Amino acid sequence: MGYREKLLDFKRRLSDRKMYSIVFVVMAAIAIWGIYQYKHAANLRQQLDNQYNRAFYDMVGYVNNVETLLVKSLITSTPEKTASTLQEAWRQSNFAQAYLGQLPVAQDILANTSKFLSQVGDFSYSINNNSMGGKPLSDKEFKSIQDLHGYAAALGKSLDALQEELNSGRIKWGELSQKGPGVFQKVSANAAAQQFENIDKTFQEYPRLIYDGPFSDHLSETESKGLTGEVLSEEKVKEKVIQFFGKDRVESVGSTGKNDSGPIKTYSYTVKFKGAPEEQMASVDFTQKGGHPYWMIYNRPVNEKKIDIDKAKRLGKEFLAKHGFENMVDTYYLSEDGTAVINYAHKQDDVIMYPDLIKVKIALDTGEVVGLESKGYLSSHTARKIQEPKLTMEEARAKINSRIKIDSSGLAIIPTNFKTELLTYEFKGKFNNQDFIVYINALTGKEENILMIIFQRKIGKLLIIYMKDSIDKIYIPHL
Amino acid sequence: MFSLVNFDTQTTAQGKGQANDVQLIARAINGEARGESYEGQVAVGAVILNRVENPKFPNTLAGVIYQPGAFTAVSDGQINVPIDPNSSVVKAARDAMNGWDPTNGCIYYWNPATATSKWIWSRQIIKKIGKHNFGK
Repeated sequence: MGYREKLLDFKRRLSDRKMYSIVFVVMAAIAIWGIYQYKHAANLRQQLDNQYNRAFYDMVGYVNNVETLLVKSLITSTPEKTASTLQEAWRQSNFAQAYLGQLPVAQDILANTSKFLSQVGDFSYSINNNSMGGKPLSDKEFKSIQDLHGYAAALGKSLDALQEELNSGRIKWGELSQKGPGVFQKVSANAAAQQFENIDKTFQEYPRLIYDGPFSDHLSETESKGLTGEVLSEEKVKEKVIQFFGKDRVESVGSTGKNDSGPIKTYSYTVKFKGAPEEQMASVDFTQKGGHPYWMIYNRPVNEKKIDIDKAKRLGKEFLAKHGFENMVDTYYLSEDGTAVINYAHKQDDVIMYPDLIKVKIALDTGEVVGLESKGYLSSHTARKIQEPKLTMEEARAKINSRIKIDSSGLAIIPTNFKTELLTYEFKGKFNNQDFIVYINALTGKEENILMIIFQRKIGKLLIIYMKDSIDKIYIPHL
Repeated sequence: MFSLVNFDTQTTAQGKGQANDVQLIARAINGEARGESYEGQVAVGAVILNRVENPKFPNTLAGVIYQPGAFTAVSDGQINVPIDPNSSVVKAARDAMNGWDPTNGCIYYWNPATATSKWIWSRQIIKKIGKHNFGK
């Protein structure tokens, strides 16, 4: 049969009534499928809208609670009552901040609002800690809470107005989250975003808040004590980079820019090694002042493990000493992917300085150093004047819960979340077969911290939770 | 950034999710910076962690990664692509969690070839790694 006949045959068969009904059924099936898909999509959209609404309504509730709690804390009669009120304010503002982050509003639009909520919580928490010890609010704290209350009240008011717009359907979440190309869509999305932007403007004038907490405004500006020496040129520091890796190993060093922001200013380089494949390079930042190594990453394939952790710790220590970091002791390690990341802290007069932290990554095939991170050390290392402990070791030990069986102890300076330092007795011990580390303030006898170490068989001694602190403030001792 | 389980600070009940955290960051890196150099991958992980520490962003890892509109890899579902446990993104996620930060504290990055937001260009460029600009 030729094409022509085939076509005629098809036409003949189509004109048969049965064929028409088959075509009709197929089209009806497609239509039903389409309606189902549409309904399904509408359903999902509705669910999403409901979640956005929930996040928003909850947030408004929490913000209003924060406002009430702040003003309450000002008029309570005892420090203890202030403490419990502020503790609740801390909790509620944390919730408000979490729900704010779930709204489909671009991050830059609500950045200041988010910061405000973080700081209210953080600040309340820090005062709560003082008040719990029976300390009444100082005049400055009273004034700060009063200010914060004013902002919280303003925020609550604008959120109430926004809630009305949502209720009346003038703003839809869909408009905010869609980025479609339609002109109209964009205009209405901008109108909605504008409402949020106006709210955020409330916080543009909001004062700097300085207190003992990780979100305090003064922390980004602290000086780097460990950054010694003169400011050097990019060329001069390049020589130091070559020296750092060893002249005989380095084939070439390329400059990839400089970083002039933040407390530690750096030059960036990439380093190519002799005999290494083209793409296998080390990246490194050295400080402009003094030309100290700031961080180094060398990602190379690691072969069969030939070096045990004790040898790796020795190699790391030797490496550090060779590059001017003296009296470093290993405090903790993490071994994975054929490498070990070993933490070293400075030791002065038999006191471990946990803030002076350097991390060294060692490849366990050859013992080569394939990574270094010295932010902690460069930020805080200095020859310290160590205070005389007011408690003896035995007195400090007596403060610890007797259920913990103590294995070892020593003096240590530990960092706080807000870049201050405490002289403590460090006790390592066991409870219920779990390893614990307890820090007792050597001057006041206060229990500053209890840490629990969780072991995970595969990766060795493992750290556990993620917290809103930066690595240079937290130290990870090992048993 | 990491601590042992800590009974005396405000962030206690986060769970024992170190391995899960690495997975989550690794998936985000995979979706956002698969074709980048190793340094570029660690940098993306570091930005995520810097955001957790910044008061302007949500205070948890999942809060930062799943913040609506924050990462394209989350919006288009690429974050759900399974990853090989031996791939470089997992190593990069670990290095970032261990404190390595090639961006020196940046909280934004964008690809100049594809960035649609005008606002992002108002950020100061601190560093360029591969296709990405990093800023504060």
